Amino acid sequence: MREFKHTIKDKNGLHARPAGMLASVAKTFESDIKVEAQGKEADGKRLLSLMSLGAKCGTELHFKINGKDEDVAEKALIEHCNTRLDGE
Amino acid sequence: MTKSIRFNGIGITNGKVSGRIKLFGSSKRKIINSRTGSALDEKARLEIARKAAIKETKALEEKALKLLGEKEAQIFEIHGMLLEDEDFLDAVLEEIDKGKSAEEAVRQTAKSYGEMLKALDDEYLSARSADINDISAQIIRFLTGDVAENEENDTEPYILVASDLTPSETVKLETSKILGFVTFGGTPSSHTAILARAMGIPALVGTGTIGSIYDGEYALLNSEKGTLIISPTENEKREFEKEQSAYNKIAKEHEMYLRSIMKKPAVTRSGHKIMIYANIGSEQEIASAISNGAEGIGLLRSEFLYLSKDKYPSEDELFSAYRDIAIKMQGKRVVIRTLDIGADKQIPYFSLPKEENPALGYRAIRICLDRHELFKTQLRAILRASAYGRISIMLPMIISAEEIREAKSLLRDSMAELSTRGQEFDAKIELGIMIETPSAAIMSDILAKEVDFFSVGTNDLTQYTLAVDRQNPKVTHLCERNTEPVMRLIKIASEAIHHKGGWIGVCGEMAADLSLTQQFANIGIDELSVSVPYLLGVRGKVSECK
Repeated sequence: MREFKHTIKDKNGLHARPAGMLASVAKTFESDIKVEAQGKEADGKRLLSLMSLGAKCGTELHFKINGKDEDVAEKALIEHCNTRLDGE
Repeated sequence: MTKSIRFNGIGITNGKVSGRIKLFGSSKRKIINSRTGSALDEKARLEIARKAAIKETKALEEKALKLLGEKEAQIFEIHGMLLEDEDFLDAVLEEIDKGKSAEEAVRQTAKSYGEMLKALDDEYLSARSADINDISAQIIRFLTGDVAENEENDTEPYILVASDLTPSETVKLETSKILGFVTFGGTPSSHTAILARAMGIPALVGTGTIGSIYDGEYALLNSEKGTLIISPTENEKREFEKEQSAYNKIAKEHEMYLRSIMKKPAVTRSGHKIMIYANIGSEQEIASAISNGAEGIGLLRSEFLYLSKDKYPSEDELFSAYRDIAIKMQGKRVVIRTLDIGADKQIPYFSLPKEENPALGYRAIRICLDRHELFKTQLRAILRASAYGRISIMLPMIISAEEIREAKSLLRDSMAELSTRGQEFDAKIELGIMIETPSAAIMSDILAKEVDFFSVGTNDLTQYTLAVDRQNPKVTHLCERNTEPVMRLIKIASEAIHHKGGWIGVCGEMAADLSLTQQFANIGIDELSVSVPYLLGVRGKVSECK
């Protein structure tokens, strides 16, 4: 299993578009991808699930990746978080 | 009697109409509550509807991206993601398993997710419950087979109320059902206002938001006073009807007078004949153009055949449309302006990149001289139609003789291709250019050598001459009453083309401005081309000119 943390910097929080992009990146991997925030857990491959975390600016997301392609998945997700999640 | 609700705005074209309000994009739909098939059947129906909704959303997203930009398109991207979201789908399937119909299941799921998002205590995410409602309504629409086109057929005429309308939305409206327009935003020069003027129906712009709760309510629209009264009291209705009948009486008398002069040629008292032509954007306008005395079509905006499609129309499609118009005009002149699009008038499948300054960018003839096949397809279609009537070709946005020569060379190529195919066309087809850049007016003595006629596009010519963006409400007033600079340029062009034995028309909005008709007569304008509702007025005015 791989884990990493990312703090949301977008002032709108983890809103629909970044959450959707995150889900579409996550979906390309076989590994099970969970995202925890504020005591709730979401399926990283599902938009509504991610949105229901209600993650705001400053909220820390805790990614847990488990599966065959977890190494690549972690890399891709970190990259995505750093470039796209905060990019707007 | 409950109190009425009143909205104020800027009135466009004078008129008074009453009718039900229709909010643009909204519609009342029925939901079939009782389950008709097995869970398996319902799931299959759901899948078909969901796929259709995804497809529609993709198309809308692409369109919005091209027409409105990335920001506006995001909403459709989010809708697409929601439609494909497995949580949402799983929840709907679960409801179906519980015995609900697909429609009910979608509605129930939308409700519970909507509530969940609203409970998040985050303004942005709460607002997303509206998106869930949107996609649910979309799926339900496909489930009930209640598609937009079908419902248009049985509605009564209505007052269309919208936040604002984009050019592509205005082109798709079924205009015969619209009594009047009301837009929350917009200026007197916005697309909706232009459309209202072209249709000769009252409009109100800048009213501020009108809530969706008023959808379907009866209302009184008075564009002269700039008011919209929703759910009027009996008193207000009576008052309105009195005003309306008085107004209609005057309008009718005036129209009778104009009709009486309709059959006479438009000649000034000093004997200068001016041809009165119509500007049209579709074949449907021809009947009313003729019944309002149009002696020809001075501007056929050929974009309509491209705007209504999602891929390039074929030569045959274009040909049959032009041919029908030529035949309907029975030998009267039809001036077809070749494709006039650009970054400000987008067509999605052209894939034109966004530009910083579209008015000065890659548009109109500049695109046609760059994409030869696109241009030649249109030229061949026009040429083939020219065998069925009197057609002229007009090139937009010309700035130099070189451009005309290039276009002529492509026209010759097109003719040669048709000859090889053995297809008929008018080999002496009349060719003209729009005078809509200061350059074309200044160089008109040179350009006149290349063509048979000029037609002045005053909207663009004004914008380029005065350096005033006509869509910017902060500066549009600078155009009003400052017509002299443009008039001087038109005079230069008029002298140049007459010197070569050609003719000159005016087809922009100035052509319909009756305070300028005398000046146009003075500088020898041969033709005025205006929207259908202005035809009789201009004809009447010409006969009053010195």
